[in-house]
Amino acid sequence: MSDAFPPDATRRLKTTALKAGAVVCGVADAAAFDKHAPQGHRPDDLLPGARSVVVVGGAQPRAGDWLATSPWVLQTMGTTDRIQSVGRKLAQYIESEFGYYGLYVPPGSAAGDTPFISFALAAELAGLGSRSLAGPILSREHGFLYWSIVITTAPFDVDPPEAEPACPAPPCREMWEREGTTPCLKICPASNGGCLEGRLENGRAVRTFYDAARCNTRVHTHWIGGFQKVLDETLNEPDKEKRKMLLYGDFFTRTLWAITYSSTNIAQCFECMRVCPAAHGLKEMK
Amino acid sequence: MAGEQLPGPTAATILGLTPATLLHEDGEAKRMTLEEQIKQVGIRAGARVVGVASAAAFRETVPEGYRPEDVLPGARTVVVAGGDGPTAGAWRCPDHRVMEITGYDLRENVAVHVMSDYIERELGHYAIQAPSLSVHGHQPPMSMMHAAELAGLGTRSLAAHIILNPEYGLLYYAALITTLELAPDPPLTEPACPHPGCAAMYKRIGTTPCLRVCPACLAGGVKDARIEWSTYDRERCHSRAQTYGIGSFQKALLEIVNEDDADKRRTMIYSDFFAKSIQALGFYRDSIAQCFECMRVCPVGRKYRKLK
Repeated sequence: MSDAFPPDATRRLKTTALKAGAVVCGVADAAAFDKHAPQGHRPDDLLPGARSVVVVGGAQPRAGDWLATSPWVLQTMGTTDRIQSVGRKLAQYIESEFGYYGLYVPPGSAAGDTPFISFALAAELAGLGSRSLAGPILSREHGFLYWSIVITTAPFDVDPPEAEPACPAPPCREMWEREGTTPCLKICPASNGGCLEGRLENGRAVRTFYDAARCNTRVHTHWIGGFQKVLDETLNEPDKEKRKMLLYGDFFTRTLWAITYSSTNIAQCFECMRVCPAAHGLKEMK
Repeated sequence: MAGEQLPGPTAATILGLTPATLLHEDGEAKRMTLEEQIKQVGIRAGARVVGVASAAAFRETVPEGYRPEDVLPGARTVVVAGGDGPTAGAWRCPDHRVMEITGYDLRENVAVHVMSDYIERELGHYAIQAPSLSVHGHQPPMSMMHAAELAGLGTRSLAAHIILNPEYGLLYYAALITTLELAPDPPLTEPACPHPGCAAMYKRIGTTPCLRVCPACLAGGVKDARIEWSTYDRERCHSRAQTYGIGSFQKALLEIVNEDDADKRRTMIYSDFFAKSIQALGFYRDSIAQCFECMRVCPVGRKYRKLK
């Protein structure tokens, strides 16, 4: 293995990522996080000497999933696990192919709900998308994607951040002019029991409020939180028969399914993304 | 095509691997031996190393009920795959929480399935994945550690008897059992542990890196550059290596159920520890182990952890 960094390394890395199942692959400069991320959540905090952050996106719901009329389809068919496999593979690829350290960043949290590093920020800095009014990072071409990231000491060529954001999409701009709202704000308004508030300003989306706690309970209805909630209620319930009903109830059963089949129960609410014209990619299906 | 069924593609055939295409790449279009074919299929499917053991070899050391033929009647061979654990970057991370939930590919399991399909579809012999999860206490139906030793992939170490591959150090093992007869690889004649550096350290100060870093779980002695004796406190090691998992879930749940104060119970239910324990049940692949200290200081295979 030569000491010189191969000039075609970035191209080879991206080809490998796409072959492994990523829809997009970009590279961010590790130092670019310093401006935006607090200490402890920067690439260098996790991998001393970090120079680049490789971001892959993909494993998103298919066009058919968005079209499905049953809400249970999206609720029980999560696919994010596949993009994490690509991330793991790239970390090993970087080490074995180029001889540089590769740290696959676990998608779990460091503590509470706090991730080790912001995947959304990484995707933005790697030029793969930009933040939407609804929150998720949207790729201009592919819309809503799931992300996996690898921090590395390898000096891959960095991609510039996206110049034009996917959000607001032209139909949303028109809707804002017409009605003073957008599809995502209308479907989940914080002022009426929802999670979002925002506006369009000079053609750009400005998010003014997001109720993360409320969103979390809706997005992860059947998951760790659901399990904890039923357990708490069951133990507080003095009536033996009611306790039995709680434990054998549909809600708790689905919660146990969600925990066991974790990769197929990623989220139970997609409404802001379902109505987003930019979330489903540019390719029209027949 | 009446009365005839075409078999669907397997992972090996999708990779273009068949007995006809698996050829030596030395200029001579010579077919690989069966052993070479199967190893190549395993490596291409993601294994770092593949070795072959004779099913008969288990009879000498393994009690009845836990041998390959007890799982697959007529078993002749056990093929073992070793897969990578954390990357060098993960070992280098100063935040211990990353390694605690870092995800593994567990490619050794994939490799075993791809090789099993290859043996059944292409070579016409039975092949199954060897069961390795505990069914009673910590007892698996078949020992992957022993299989790896017999297949010549590694030897037991002073560090909790973890099998060390002399080249790569810590690997994760899976195996398949087949009725296909294959020439076995010989067990290693030179043990991977103690590493020469550790043997020298023991001579100098009476300990090794792993024994020194974890005297709570490990004990052992080295004589003439060989392990003279070794033992480890499995229960203690288990509770440290798997802080988040089935055991921690059971422990926390018992405490929660036994707590009479509803407010305290709620605090315990919504605590980070219990939440992480539940998460570990779901994302088991991301919570393989939470303590790696004896392996962190082990020099075997370290060259692969020193990168640019």
